[in-house]
Amino acid sequence: MKGIGARIGLVCGLLVLIFTGFAWRLIDLQVSQHSYFAHEAAEKHCIRLPIPAQRGRILDRNGEELAVNIPVRTVYADGTRIHDAKAVATVASPFLKMSEPDLQERLSTKRPYVVIRKGVSEEDAQDMIRAMDKAGLHGLYLQEATVRSYPNAEMLCHVLGYVDCTGHGADGIEKTMDEELTGHDGFRLIEHDRKGREIVIYRGQEQLPENGSDIRLSIDMGLQALVEKEIDTTYKDLHPAAVTAVLADPNTGEILAMACRPNYDPNKFNEAKPEQMRNRSITDMYEPGSVFKIVVTSAAYNEGIVNENTRIFCENGHFSYGGKIIKDHHGFGDLSVPDILMKSSNIGAAKIALRMPDAMYYDYVRRFGFGQRSGIQLPGEISGMVNPPHRWDMLTKTRMAYGQSVAVTPIQMIMAMSTVANGGKLMKPRLVLNKGEGNAVQEAVPVGQVVSAKSSNFIASSLLKVVSSEGTAPLARIDGFKVAGKTGTAQKISPNGGYLANRYIVSFAGFFPSEHPNLAAIVIVDDAPLGDSANYGGLVAAPVFSRIGSKAARYLDMEPETGTVAQSAQSTSVSLNSRVP
Amino acid sequence: MNGNRRRTTNLIEVNFLARWLGVMFLLGLTGLFFVYIKNQQHAVGNQSRMIESAIAELEARNEALNARITALTSRGALQRRVDEGFIHLEPIRDTAIARITPALPAEADGVLRTASRDPESRLTVGVPQRILSR
Repeated sequence: MKGIGARIGLVCGLLVLIFTGFAWRLIDLQVSQHSYFAHEAAEKHCIRLPIPAQRGRILDRNGEELAVNIPVRTVYADGTRIHDAKAVATVASPFLKMSEPDLQERLSTKRPYVVIRKGVSEEDAQDMIRAMDKAGLHGLYLQEATVRSYPNAEMLCHVLGYVDCTGHGADGIEKTMDEELTGHDGFRLIEHDRKGREIVIYRGQEQLPENGSDIRLSIDMGLQALVEKEIDTTYKDLHPAAVTAVLADPNTGEILAMACRPNYDPNKFNEAKPEQMRNRSITDMYEPGSVFKIVVTSAAYNEGIVNENTRIFCENGHFSYGGKIIKDHHGFGDLSVPDILMKSSNIGAAKIALRMPDAMYYDYVRRFGFGQRSGIQLPGEISGMVNPPHRWDMLTKTRMAYGQSVAVTPIQMIMAMSTVANGGKLMKPRLVLNKGEGNAVQEAVPVGQVVSAKSSNFIASSLLKVVSSEGTAPLARIDGFKVAGKTGTAQKISPNGGYLANRYIVSFAGFFPSEHPNLAAIVIVDDAPLGDSANYGGLVAAPVFSRIGSKAARYLDMEPETGTVAQSAQSTSVSLNSRVP
Repeated sequence: MNGNRRRTTNLIEVNFLARWLGVMFLLGLTGLFFVYIKNQQHAVGNQSRMIESAIAELEARNEALNARITALTSRGALQRRVDEGFIHLEPIRDTAIARITPALPAEADGVLRTASRDPESRLTVGVPQRILSR
């Protein structure tokens, strides 16, 4: 009996030891190393599935879509699941638009993730998967993706920019507004089974994506289209190096249209050359020529240095100053300030500048926004070049008066002209009206009062004469409207110093209607091969301005000003061969 | 012997047995029901996953079609169609445009309108529009 009892006790003891071991191991697995094994298990079965955010659209001021997303699929292969590469290639190649041998070669892999083709359309991708299922084949899978599309192709390309292969803006509004447009990806924690299918009932934490905001621009595509068409015609007809045009609301600083030639298609940005991709409105500086006379005349009038009755002797076309001769295109005697603008007298403008102290003149040039970035919401803007007085030589001041020895960008020039149009306020140019805040529109931002309303009105009324049969830009007239503006004709600067012979940058900047200006525009034609006698702002750029203005007025249904129809009819009799700057 | 045999006879306690069998049956039934519910959950989960992917596919197709419509109705596309002659635009002459100005309220021109009883719209509605020709 004792022997049996001992044996029973031994067996029971062994069982106790065994089960104690099991219990200890159980506690070890479930308690001591719980987090480690839970993590290991989760790594095998749980994945964090990203839910991509949609990039915001870019719209014009009326809600027209300028940049949209097209859903596409990235097709990838899991080599571990492909058993018959040839059969898969036969079924899938028509949908992937690849040759069967090429596809078969790429499918002959054991790697679990091989991208076969990006940018496959949704329809083709789904049709391919159905065909694969029908044939009982596996190994090709789809990933969600989007491509950015610009429905208007080249139109407004320099403003919109483009998105690079990482999905982020690389130029234009796409770049400056990238943060607002991008949004934030969401995610979902899921568990999957042995075949990789999601087990929905074990779906874990989920965070929905925050889509990017839609950006509403101040651009009006109706106006943009007609500006594009006009500068396109100019570019094709005159064969210049470049054409630039900007249309703005002088009262708010809103940019209504902005276009340059040459241009490119942002849908095929990788085919574009660097010179096609430059937004010359903000990245190119040029000597503005006579358009800059509005600065010296406004400043002098505002300071009381000249007034309505001031008459300046213009030396009959030859003025010797600082060892150099300043010339006018015609010899003039005494001219009033409006006449200096109307006749575009370099000598008159230089003499007005000489009446002003250097520091005061420089201050006004800066207050008009030159020599500093305008702050437009586009990348790559340059500040132009305005030297401070301590760097001036004896001639700098006189040259600056008629737009030499100073370099400006088109956007600076149109904002300066808008200052004259709107009662003396320099406005910050605005391209973005709304960054996804519903219907709210950001307020116009005045940079400052440059000259008094009286001074700006005086200059504006003087500029009306420029667009008359006696002025330099009769071809800038617009039927039914009184137009104020100024021509500019500047020789191109040689890279080796000095100026290039017979090569000009001609421009016209103006605004209308004269009473309550709604539109300001600048047209710049760079280096049109027209020869010395025909390459003037009044002959080349002014007609483009006129055509753009006429169509814009019709498009905006602007009410004609009274007493202007008969005046505009005279413009047809103006000779194209008259030499006007 | 007979007495001993009678003493070792065990009676089956039907009530006791039935109670435990009932408990076991209920436990088994609960287990089966649990498995059934779990399977149902998986089935419904799979259905909802399929519906989700179908909705996602539809949304993607819808977006693709919207983008296509946008491209086909873009200004560039329409301009191409105009250039091809598919769409013809007839220019409107300036002389054919009538400009209708908004009617003036009574406070502005001093004319009392009687056509409408609504005091708000009475001032503007029903007034012959002034037509100015260019």
